[in-house]
Amino acid sequence: MAMSVALEADARQAAADKRSEEHSLVRNAQAGDRLAFEELVRRYDRDVLRLALNLVHKQEDARDVYQESFLRVYRNLHRFRFECSFYTWLYRITTNVALDHLRRRTSHREDQAPVLEDAEGGTHDFFDRQPETSASSNPEKQVLGQELGAKIQEAMTRLSPRERTVFEMKHYLGLRLRAIGDLLGTSEETVKNSLFRATRKLRESLDGMRAK
Amino acid sequence: MNLDKDAMTNEQCSQWQPLLVLFAAGEELDVVQESEMAGHLANCSYCRSALDSERDLLAILGEHRVEPDAGLLASCRASLVDALDREEEGGWLRRKIGTLLPADWMSPRPAWSAALLVMIGFSVGMFGPRFLRRPVTPPSIAKSAPEPLGDPSSVLESVAAPSPSSSISSDKFDLHTADVAGINVFHAEGNDPPQVELQIRTQQPVTVRGTIDDDNVKSVLLYVLRNNRRFGSEVRLNAVDLLRARSSDPEVRSALSQAVDTDRDPEVRLKALDALDGAAPQDMVRNTLLEALEDNENSGVRVEAIDSLRRMVQSGQIPYDDGLLAVLRDRMDHDSNPYIRIQSAAAIRDFGSR
Repeated sequence: MAMSVALEADARQAAADKRSEEHSLVRNAQAGDRLAFEELVRRYDRDVLRLALNLVHKQEDARDVYQESFLRVYRNLHRFRFECSFYTWLYRITTNVALDHLRRRTSHREDQAPVLEDAEGGTHDFFDRQPETSASSNPEKQVLGQELGAKIQEAMTRLSPRERTVFEMKHYLGLRLRAIGDLLGTSEETVKNSLFRATRKLRESLDGMRAK
Repeated sequence: MNLDKDAMTNEQCSQWQPLLVLFAAGEELDVVQESEMAGHLANCSYCRSALDSERDLLAILGEHRVEPDAGLLASCRASLVDALDREEEGGWLRRKIGTLLPADWMSPRPAWSAALLVMIGFSVGMFGPRFLRRPVTPPSIAKSAPEPLGDPSSVLESVAAPSPSSSISSDKFDLHTADVAGINVFHAEGNDPPQVELQIRTQQPVTVRGTIDDDNVKSVLLYVLRNNRRFGSEVRLNAVDLLRARSSDPEVRSALSQAVDTDRDPEVRLKALDALDGAAPQDMVRNTLLEALEDNENSGVRVEAIDSLRRMVQSGQIPYDDGLLAVLRDRMDHDSNPYIRIQSAAAIRDFGSR
């Protein structure tokens, strides 16, 4: 019992130290320290790019979202008042930029999964360009994986930008619904309803699929 | 009886079903709800099955989510560094304007901001020339001009009457003392090339009009790239964009190569490098790309160079030889940018280590 209390205290202290260190980093960046800003970028940019990629589904758009998000942070860093954590503020900006991209994009299916034409005139879509990560994959499994990937891609297009964002943030960033609500400037209840709708739509679209 | 138990279970299930999503998501139910849910699941096969389905769905989606690869992340970081450099360059001017007119005052008042901008624009347009004591005269008024220098590339000859494809003023002027104030492009219908309008500021304003195939237009654009310190980034970017259509022209390739080497704006260097990519295979293009990969201090330019080299080797536009291999090995070992190190290694792997 004493051990667990001590461990919990250690964990709390470590979290406080980390917050304090990040606080200093942000202050230095606000004072014009470019290296401090770049350190902040390095800490979170993989998550930002992952969020962007899974929301907008096109590498070029994700690149734009990435750049626009960090530039907005850079330009408005002096307005950050530490009322929330830096990552909350960063993800809020990234989400807004990504949502703007999604809303601007016309809802053509071909826009959601760009089709590339190869030399023989055949076509392959976005998921064909993603590296196959399984070491034991065989061609049949690869084809099935691609088909499932295409089906998932199509299912995701049925979600609204808000539903897609909530789903992504909950399941892939591991954020609590309350935190997502803060990020999106809405209530936890609204976010919960978005998650329910997103899950229901995905379940309906992918009914019958099973994990390998 | 079991029927009563089943009926009661189904009724209870209806209140738990919505919470299954949150239970599967994790960390969203409070301690009491978690405990009650666990207790219900222990006695309800229907909800256990629903929870399994929910978890399966999340597992499937998790397997197919897109992770950014290292190359994309490195490329994004390189582009961001360049963008931050540009932000810093513009920061001084922004800070000066900000002290006169704080953005905080303007941003929540869009109507006032728009009205103020219209007033500023109107005032500058109406009173600017009078204030600067420069009467606006139409370009057709003939004035004496300095004698042209011997270098034909720096002087545009006048023509008595406009030709069907181009029109310039009736004055002679010398690019050494002129400034290219702006480049406008007017896209034509169908397959016709766009019309280009070059606004040149000399003793009097001059406009050069024509398509990119017009030698006068080409001369001015080449001059802009070769004398990049005299002209603004926007003008240089437009010049590269327009000259791209003539990248097979040796003079244009030479100017683009020079821009890759010497332009102070990384965006112009990148654009020039990209414009060279589609040019006919020539030693100059290959050497320009290799030099950019080896020596250019800007990582974004080096990223563009390695990407272009790989594409051109793949398509057979340039040969894969010992010189190229040596540069790739050097970059694989020594480049500060991880994307470039990875791409260099991948190129050696794909094309062979000889």
